[in-house]
Amino acid sequence: MTLFEGDINQEYRIDQVEVEGNVGRRLQSLGLIHDTFIKVVNKKKNGAIIFKARGTRLAVGKDIAKKILVCTKEC
Amino acid sequence: MKEELQVAFIGNPNCGKTTLFNAYTGAKLKVANWPGVTVEKKEGAFKYHSHLFKLVDLPGIYSLTSYTLEEKLSREYILDDTVDVIVDVADASCLERNLFLTLQLIELGKPVILALNMMDIVKERGMEIDLHRLPEMLGIPVIPVSARKKTGLDILMHAVAHHQVKHMDSNLEHHHDGNVSNHKHSHHLEYAVVYSDEIEDKIDEIIDRLYMHDPDLKNPRWYAIKILEQDPEICEQFQIDFSDVVPRSYETDIINQKYDFIEEIIDEVLVNKEEKAAKTEKIDHYLTHRVLGLPIFLGIMALVFFLTFTIGDWLKGYFEVGITGISDGVLALLQHLHANDMVISLVVDGIISGVGGILTFLPNIFILFLALAFLEDSGYMSRVAYIMDGIMGKIGLSGRAFIPMLLGFGCSVPAVMATRALEDSNDRRKTILVTPFMSCSARLPVYVLFSDMFFGNYAVIAAFSMYVIGLVIAILIAFIMTKLQKKSETHSLLIELPEYKTPNLHTIVIYVWDKIKDYLTKAGTTIFVASIIIWFILNVGPHGIVTDITESFGAGIGKFLVPILVPTGLGLWQIALALISGLAAKEVVVSSIGVLFGIGNIASTNGRSALLEVLSNADFTAVNAYSMMIFVLLYTPCVATIATIKREMKSVRWTVFAIVFQVAVAWLVSTLFFQIAQILM
Repeated sequence: MTLFEGDINQEYRIDQVEVEGNVGRRLQSLGLIHDTFIKVVNKKKNGAIIFKARGTRLAVGKDIAKKILVCTKEC
Repeated sequence: MKEELQVAFIGNPNCGKTTLFNAYTGAKLKVANWPGVTVEKKEGAFKYHSHLFKLVDLPGIYSLTSYTLEEKLSREYILDDTVDVIVDVADASCLERNLFLTLQLIELGKPVILALNMMDIVKERGMEIDLHRLPEMLGIPVIPVSARKKTGLDILMHAVAHHQVKHMDSNLEHHHDGNVSNHKHSHHLEYAVVYSDEIEDKIDEIIDRLYMHDPDLKNPRWYAIKILEQDPEICEQFQIDFSDVVPRSYETDIINQKYDFIEEIIDEVLVNKEEKAAKTEKIDHYLTHRVLGLPIFLGIMALVFFLTFTIGDWLKGYFEVGITGISDGVLALLQHLHANDMVISLVVDGIISGVGGILTFLPNIFILFLALAFLEDSGYMSRVAYIMDGIMGKIGLSGRAFIPMLLGFGCSVPAVMATRALEDSNDRRKTILVTPFMSCSARLPVYVLFSDMFFGNYAVIAAFSMYVIGLVIAILIAFIMTKLQKKSETHSLLIELPEYKTPNLHTIVIYVWDKIKDYLTKAGTTIFVASIIIWFILNVGPHGIVTDITESFGAGIGKFLVPILVPTGLGLWQIALALISGLAAKEVVVSSIGVLFGIGNIASTNGRSALLEVLSNADFTAVNAYSMMIFVLLYTPCVATIATIKREMKSVRWTVFAIVFQVAVAWLVSTLFFQIAQILM
């Protein structure tokens, strides 16, 4: 599944980040890499999403959220 | 030991570098609670014991790559030989993210000191950091500070003075997925991060070749790592073929291994990692709510402008009485001194009328900036980017582009500069073009003056509507541009949401005072000079001093433009001239109108009713007044903004286009309004 489909207050583990270019690099610098745990804090109808990872709260747009592949914490 | 030390402050965005810089240098640089406030490097100096510390505050960055403008500039700066010590400012309450940059800085090979900022917040949240183990693991000095509470400042500079020469004495073992590294070199004694065998072997190989190429190369390890990451700038610099050692980019591997090490550090040094950030979560539940978020934001903005006009106008009443008193006093004094009539006219009708008229709007400006300061310092700005992301997405921009637009309500100059945070140059250009349509504080006196005169009880609504029109036009134009470009690129939002905090009184005072000072300076310089110039061109004509103002140079210039302005309902030469003078600063429109229509004190109730009478006699009605407000809202911003646009775009052609475009939009919209209103009425 993608982060876009994530539910509020659920924790996930990043499988892969498929964002390219500068934004992809920025995400990597922020530590959004394979096996990082992230928790969805809030999301909007149009797909913008707020999540927490590595103690940092981030907001990303729908296009980014759709390219972050995650799986449930236990998988 | 060097007597003079060049110290660079670097760190993630919003970690408090500028607050720390201010604390040391006594500077009053703007700080706020959103990432990306500082866009330019700032320098300052202070003496401590026998050393002269030259501090440099750099824009915040997340990593030392060369892909964004800020990263490139900051990296170039700290790589420069003049920098003696790097102070890595880290937000201790987000240690995990901040350490990534720290590790990269250590690899640079220069003396680095980690300043753990916001230790007060860490304590508040019940977290604890092992301050003995952290420096051990990193191999650099770690100094806990609180820039806000000014604790730890002396000890930090003490450390800077004593660690200007890099030395290492750490003794570390890394665990790569549980495998004990069997790499042949004793890197652990030298480097904070030791990579997997595969990468370390490659680093050794690259270093050998770099030495062959340049035996004097300083810190080859850093260059080797950058070559493994296939950093375009560094690869270009050396022009050596490494394709056999570096068949692909190892950037991801290097980042992953750095974060592996960071996780080790966090495990060892951070106690009570699950901090209680419940306050921010609770506030965000409402402010970023999927349904309520947008109405709450619009409500807040409506409140900001409502307060600006109501409380501001109430205070303005007292200012008007004061200015009238001064004007009358000066007039009496000059008459008592039997001053020349021309001099009396210049001082009373020119200077006091112009500058004084502007000063009375100070209360409105004060309230507006006070409100903006609260918004910026609370942490709400980032949330606005999130809330507006949906709407901005429809016009082809990310929610992040809304931050410069919101700042534009204060002043277009910093707003245009704030667009640097946008990654895409096309997005940036678009945002720069529409930001001046957001009504800045300088336009406020024009609205207040005209709506007071023509709209009576509806004055506040008339003035407020300008902000809405400006916003709508900005969004509309961005939308049309996106449609014209026909690009289907996605412009995604990515922004950090800081913790909410109670706005800091000191920060607010600095922020508001800075704006008030700007306003007063403008009144004393630009507006002062503009008032004198206007007075002169109205009193001098082709044949010397004129008694009939319509024969003056000013009237000539104004009349020349009248035909163009007739369709907009602004076909009076005085108005035309006032609009030209507004290019210096938009407040000048108000001061010029006072001088142009010969109204001694435009700020007073008497002055306004006199002006209303003159305008009414010239068939200038409420419809014309509203058209005037629209024109002032939309036409070319002041010279300071134009200069900023040129500096940011680095293109004269583009700047000229922006100016012409904005005048055209202003003319078109006010003509449209005026013509339709004429038909309807």
